[in-house]
Amino acid sequence: MKSVSPAIRGWLSFAIGAVIAYLVGMGLVFLASGSWTYLHLVPVLFATFGSVTAYSWGASGYSPITKGFVWLDLGSLIGFALGLGIDLLVQGTLDWVAPTASLFALLFGFTAFFLGVAGFNAASKGLIWQIIGTLLAAIFVSVIRAAMGLTWSGPFLFSEPAWVLGGFMGVLFFLGGSGAVDDWFKWARGIDTPEHHEEHYSGWEKYLHISYDHKVIGIQYTVTALFLISVGGLFALIFRTELAASQLQFLTLDMKLFGQNGPQLYNSFMSLHGMIMIVSILLGMAGITNFVVPLLLGAQDMAFPRLNSFAFWISVPASVLLLMSLVLGGFDTGWTGYPPLSARAPVGMQMFFLGVFTAGWSSILGALNNIVTVVRMRSKGMTAFRMPIFVWAAIATSIIALTATQFIGLAFQMVMFQRLFGMGFFDPAKGGNPVLFQHLFWFYSHPAVYVFILPGLGVISELLPVFARKPLFGYRWIAMSSLAIALVGFLVWAHHMFASGMNEYLRVPFMYSTLLVAIPTGVKFFSWVATLWKGKIWAPTPMLFVLGGIVVFLLGGLTGPPNATVSTDLHLTDTYFIVGHFHDTIFGGFVFPFFAAIYYWFPKATGRRMNETLGKIHFWLMTPAFFVLTFGMMRIGLLGMRRRIVDYDPALNFDYTHLVMTVGGFLIAISVLIFIYNFFNSIKNGEKAEGNIWNSRSPEWQVPSPMPTHNYDQLFEVVGEPYDYGLPGGSKYVEFIAPAKSKHP
Amino acid sequence: MSHNQDKSSAYAQGVLIFVYLTVLTALEYFVAITFSAVSILVLIAVIKAALVMYYYMHIYKLNEDSADDIHSYAYKTGTNRLGLWLFLLSDAFVFAGLLTTRINLLGLTRPHLNQLLGVAVTAVLLISSFFMNRGETAMAHGDKKGFITNALITFVLGLGFLLGVVAVEWPAAAAEGLTASSGTAGAVFYMMTGMHAFHVFTGLIFLLVIINNARKDIYSEEKHWGVEAVTVYWHFVDLVWIFFYPALYLIGKLL
Repeated sequence: MKSVSPAIRGWLSFAIGAVIAYLVGMGLVFLASGSWTYLHLVPVLFATFGSVTAYSWGASGYSPITKGFVWLDLGSLIGFALGLGIDLLVQGTLDWVAPTASLFALLFGFTAFFLGVAGFNAASKGLIWQIIGTLLAAIFVSVIRAAMGLTWSGPFLFSEPAWVLGGFMGVLFFLGGSGAVDDWFKWARGIDTPEHHEEHYSGWEKYLHISYDHKVIGIQYTVTALFLISVGGLFALIFRTELAASQLQFLTLDMKLFGQNGPQLYNSFMSLHGMIMIVSILLGMAGITNFVVPLLLGAQDMAFPRLNSFAFWISVPASVLLLMSLVLGGFDTGWTGYPPLSARAPVGMQMFFLGVFTAGWSSILGALNNIVTVVRMRSKGMTAFRMPIFVWAAIATSIIALTATQFIGLAFQMVMFQRLFGMGFFDPAKGGNPVLFQHLFWFYSHPAVYVFILPGLGVISELLPVFARKPLFGYRWIAMSSLAIALVGFLVWAHHMFASGMNEYLRVPFMYSTLLVAIPTGVKFFSWVATLWKGKIWAPTPMLFVLGGIVVFLLGGLTGPPNATVSTDLHLTDTYFIVGHFHDTIFGGFVFPFFAAIYYWFPKATGRRMNETLGKIHFWLMTPAFFVLTFGMMRIGLLGMRRRIVDYDPALNFDYTHLVMTVGGFLIAISVLIFIYNFFNSIKNGEKAEGNIWNSRSPEWQVPSPMPTHNYDQLFEVVGEPYDYGLPGGSKYVEFIAPAKSKHP
Repeated sequence: MSHNQDKSSAYAQGVLIFVYLTVLTALEYFVAITFSAVSILVLIAVIKAALVMYYYMHIYKLNEDSADDIHSYAYKTGTNRLGLWLFLLSDAFVFAGLLTTRINLLGLTRPHLNQLLGVAVTAVLLISSFFMNRGETAMAHGDKKGFITNALITFVLGLGFLLGVVAVEWPAAAAEGLTASSGTAGAVFYMMTGMHAFHVFTGLIFLLVIINNARKDIYSEEKHWGVEAVTVYWHFVDLVWIFFYPALYLIGKLL
């Protein structure tokens, strides 16, 4: 076997592992339910884990990462068995699909993975403490309830208040256990710590430990985002498979998992797909921003390195909470969590609220750090209008994330309290107002879509001149349009509520404010087209994704006004047309630019570049597949397909379109798999790229890759315009002036 | 600014601002019981907030030129200051959201609450802000003993406010039938006072931290960012109450 290349061995093992795990899963389903079912979620999940483990084993032998996957599988099984035992003790009957068992499988599996990969590290310690904290707090509440004569147990082992306090304490224990707050506690006790710690770990292990280096944190964010994108994408594939044909075939009424039947699972997957993707977008853009902004500014680090690390680490327990919501009964409200439905969904709803609340803090604190860094840490000569354009986008994004995020946190808290203490904020029976929730919710969640896309549009503007070899057209207009989008974005939220029953006189002003957003967005498009005009366009993978992003975002932009216009929106609201529209904006504004940014800055992080052929396959597979998916969505949406439903009438004749869309969805998934393979494979085996491979004027490309810990050895001064590409005379953007003093203050 | 002033005139300024705030609070109460004009109450609250932000929280320091050397304590303090104010801006949105909720659900009505208790806790919090300002002024002029004394007084008053709300006002309101689950008025009352009390509670912890660190002699006339941060945070908590007090106790007709 030695002569076979690792990749081939890996993929062979992948296939064998998938088949074996699928068969094992089917066997288990037979044991539990007594019937052979080929289309069942359990074998699918088994095959996912089995194939990944087998791939790693085949490709790299019993390496740390393989060990992690093996531990993940074993940990899940042990957790499952333990949960099953506890459930048997408490309920008195053996229930194969007990949520408790799935919950323990999830938590133990995660923890075991990080333990297996590198023993005790910030991630595994944090997760162990999160489990301990959750259980301790839940048991604490249960004991008190039992002492008060209330029921202490529920269908999910503990009662709802116990789970809520448990989830919350789990987050605090995670932060304490992982060491993310160690230095602050030292400061509180009056012990000074050095501004930067010596790096104790080298290679990939440093990513599993607390690090204050913004580049490490940026990569931690990015990899977490890729993980969440995969999870959210897997959820999408599951419910897309069910939608491929009318009637219920896959998520059927008689199947059960996590205490839910098929359609309930559909609701949970659909809801979580939304929120997990949103969190992954926030983390992904935080990753790019964290990695790139200090480099663009010429700073040694972010303004608050500890806060930066804290903001990343708090997103880990947040992600765990979101996944916990799936196994604790799930929820059926969609990502919006509107009451009154969210006021009576299962416990999973509360975990979802807690998870979003926690992830919100990550976003708020990251944004704060970002603004301060840009205001205080710029290099000499970098005046406002000589900043790289991506920095403007990051600032505009941060303004929204810093302020508006509090509103979604507050709205979700209020529903939590309504459920826990009977506080009647949104309960009409007590004089409450459900529409108030929608106002609070959308006051964040509409500007939030600009949080998702503005950094992406910034990436497009940043990369376009490099690959068109021309100055960026209308730099100041682009900079201002980012701010304008952010500010106008605060005034448009009620366009999500045209059909909600809010006062009718609010409709027209919100329609016009929404249409106003098209102006600054149009400015950006005009600039991009004018930048491309007569440029010497050169299209390696990052540029392909930039161009793809522009086209897809244009489609998203053009399908916006019909939704913003009251008369048409009343027809389109809650249809698949909306789904198509926002997938366009998010793919064009985030997914494509995110991939572009990774392909572009990957050499800066690793000193190697990603495989160009695989990159092009990724692009040429994903783009057409995405168009098939989104045009399908909009077509059936216009014809009346409702969103968020598990089944549809065969007489509507949507079966064929749905099938094509499902195929498109799977093709996108395959292309992303290729990307992930390319990403991890190139870290070790990629072609060396230590110089300025894109021939960029930007400061970070003027020094060799990868960047050392404290960035630039020499300070630089800005002496020219950032995007004067292809002009005669050959001006410079930055000039290195002096060695950076006090590297370790 | 504190360095341009000598210690006694800085103290005198603190007293003067406190007198202004007291007079305005009394005026607020008078307006509420006589002709109950919401616009005047809002105006008074805004004036009080502006006084606190300028003279107690020293917002103008954001605009101060700090040292050129990016690694100096002065430059880092400027950076920290901006970070703290951005955090407060973010936090202010939580309270703005609560005020929005109150206006949406209760409009121009208010729950039946113990007015005397309301005035009492408001006065206690206002006085605590005065002593906090005195403590910071003392530290800025190198008087560590004065700082510790004033910070301890602030702590005691802050604890008094917290207990006054959570241990006296809450049970009293509940005894009158205003419970968290009794209706929107109860929900709004407990949510607003609860969220504010949580901030007071964290402020008390921070106060203990700086008092303890001052006893260890960590702060100096030039280097006392920790003290400044907690001071600004404490005044911010007071600032929130400047809006919450009229919103809960003064505005609108009794339900």
